[in-house]
Amino acid sequence: MKLKLERPKVNTSKLKRKLLGYNISDGLVYRIAVYILLVAIAYVFLYPLLRMISMTFMSSADIINPEIDWVPQNWSITNLRVAWSVLSMPNTILNSLWYSGTLALAQTFISAMTGFAFARYQFKFKNFWFAMVLMSFIIPVPVVLIPRWMMFITAQNMTGIKMIGTVFPQLLMAIAGQGVYSAILILIFFNFFKMIPVVLDEAAKIDGASSWQVFYHIILKMSVPTIATVFLFSFVWNYNESYITATFLRSALKLMPLQLGLFDSIFEKMSANVPGASGAPGGQFRINESFKMAATLITMAPMMIMYLFVQKQFVEGIEKTGITGE
Amino acid sequence: MKQRKNKPSRSFQKQQSRTGYVFFFPWMIGFLIFTLFPFLYTIYLSFHKVSLNVLGWTTAFNGIDNYVTALLRNPNFTPALIQFFLSEIVYVPTILIISFILAILLNGKFRFRTAFRIIYFLPVIVISGSVMNQLMNSGNVQIGNVRRIFIYQIMESYSPALADVIAFLFNNFAIVLWFTGIPIVLFLNGLQKINPQLFEAAQIDGATSWQILWKITIPIIRPILLVASIFTVVQLGMFPINPVYGMIQTAIFDTVGGLGVASSYAWIYSLVVLVLIGAMFFILRDPSKDVYVVNIREEQAEKRRKQLKSDKFRASMDRFFKKGKEATDDEA
Repeated sequence: MKLKLERPKVNTSKLKRKLLGYNISDGLVYRIAVYILLVAIAYVFLYPLLRMISMTFMSSADIINPEIDWVPQNWSITNLRVAWSVLSMPNTILNSLWYSGTLALAQTFISAMTGFAFARYQFKFKNFWFAMVLMSFIIPVPVVLIPRWMMFITAQNMTGIKMIGTVFPQLLMAIAGQGVYSAILILIFFNFFKMIPVVLDEAAKIDGASSWQVFYHIILKMSVPTIATVFLFSFVWNYNESYITATFLRSALKLMPLQLGLFDSIFEKMSANVPGASGAPGGQFRINESFKMAATLITMAPMMIMYLFVQKQFVEGIEKTGITGE
Repeated sequence: MKQRKNKPSRSFQKQQSRTGYVFFFPWMIGFLIFTLFPFLYTIYLSFHKVSLNVLGWTTAFNGIDNYVTALLRNPNFTPALIQFFLSEIVYVPTILIISFILAILLNGKFRFRTAFRIIYFLPVIVISGSVMNQLMNSGNVQIGNVRRIFIYQIMESYSPALADVIAFLFNNFAIVLWFTGIPIVLFLNGLQKINPQLFEAAQIDGATSWQILWKITIPIIRPILLVASIFTVVQLGMFPINPVYGMIQTAIFDTVGGLGVASSYAWIYSLVVLVLIGAMFFILRDPSKDVYVVNIREEQAEKRRKQLKSDKFRASMDRFFKKGKEATDDEA
């Protein structure tokens, strides 16, 4: 009798424990709620990208058809092909890669040096300069852009060397540590270098190493993953940067985001040259969303592919070292 | 003896300082030339008429004319600035709250955690001005229509500008969410640094998760909240969500107004941004910390004073009684 009475009781409490847990955060209900929330937010995050991909493969008839929501009826890669040629593709991407790669290399090196100085040395006005590093992040770009532009125009006129429309101004700024988000990169290095024990430096110094040797042989060699993270961030930010680049390059060099910004006008110009196809409303080469989305997809693609392979560096690299410090 | 002991350490310090500056030098020069000087020079330019001729740049003082042009003559600038200001006020808290919640959710251990983290970080990799423009113009970021909601319509009748901003927030919610990438990582980094023993201690004392969140997690994470909010303010300014940004760029290449007007735009805009960041500092500064420490110190000092007083009193009493005792002893 007793057993029979007790059994259902035990069962419900077990079930309850399974559902709600000892603490609410290990229960099944909580977990399911978390998953639903995470999936819902992830859906909102990815919504624009999914729409973009779906529209890329729609034919121009599918775009107008109100019945087609997500899955295209007539799959076509015409859009991709057209966008590819409008963006004058292989060239643009190669330009973009070497351009942002060069800037990223310069930025990474200088940020490492600056981070090292802050992490290891006591120099005069250190706190003041550290505050200035943060200031350089806070000061909005437009306010410093105008004099920078004037400076390079003046330098160009005085020396006769062509500067506006080349990589030179931005490279110089990157070498001087004033590139895109340079302060963040410095902070990442600063935090990581602080975690490397000073004893190692001291041991090397006792053995007669100079500061540069310490910097190269100990600090840099120990922080290869951080260097990779910083380089990748710098690369991505330089690749996606279009404001400063548009000011200094104008349209001298074809880069990915800039071309995408000009996509509509280039498309108009090019489609005017296609015999017979232009002008007619509803014609095959009238600009529509699917062409634009195809171009956007092409612009994003290199970064997304890279992210697939090195996402660990991105997410964990910054999460472990942090940029805030203690 | 003392001098000999001090001398090497001082030269070591000097050497340290020098080497530090060697490593720091490129950045310092760059900062002075490319950031500090331009920052100040823009203020100078904004009060001048700037033109380029054969001899180079010439500037002629024209008082606050540029500012008058920016704020009164140009019909687009002031509304754009107000829109920017309102949007920062609405977006920054939204972004911070969502990223904080996501960070707390992602901080636990569960399956597919890495996959979710990869998804939430993806926007940082792909976001750029022109990509955002294309996505927004094609209407691919709009999930629902907020204008049909009743509360929204009430708000619109009170303040159309704010209502516009909120409509934009919900219509482009996906894009606004895209700005949470870095703050999530910052918060995660902060959450992982919190000592888990603190939570255990609180749990043993019978605190609920809600209490733990407000009494332990948020106070510890407050500095990171500040960093994340500054990052968000700065980042929001850099994309086409911000109408002022493009306006300044077109003003740079505008031959009629010239760089003077452009600098006054840039300067007014930066002033707004700096005020916003200052407000962040003010809101998120740690009010309890200094007061608390001071209180503890004062309490301790007070205690010691009292202790001293009572010690002295006791000592004097002791002495008094001893004396009395001795006296009585003597008498005896």
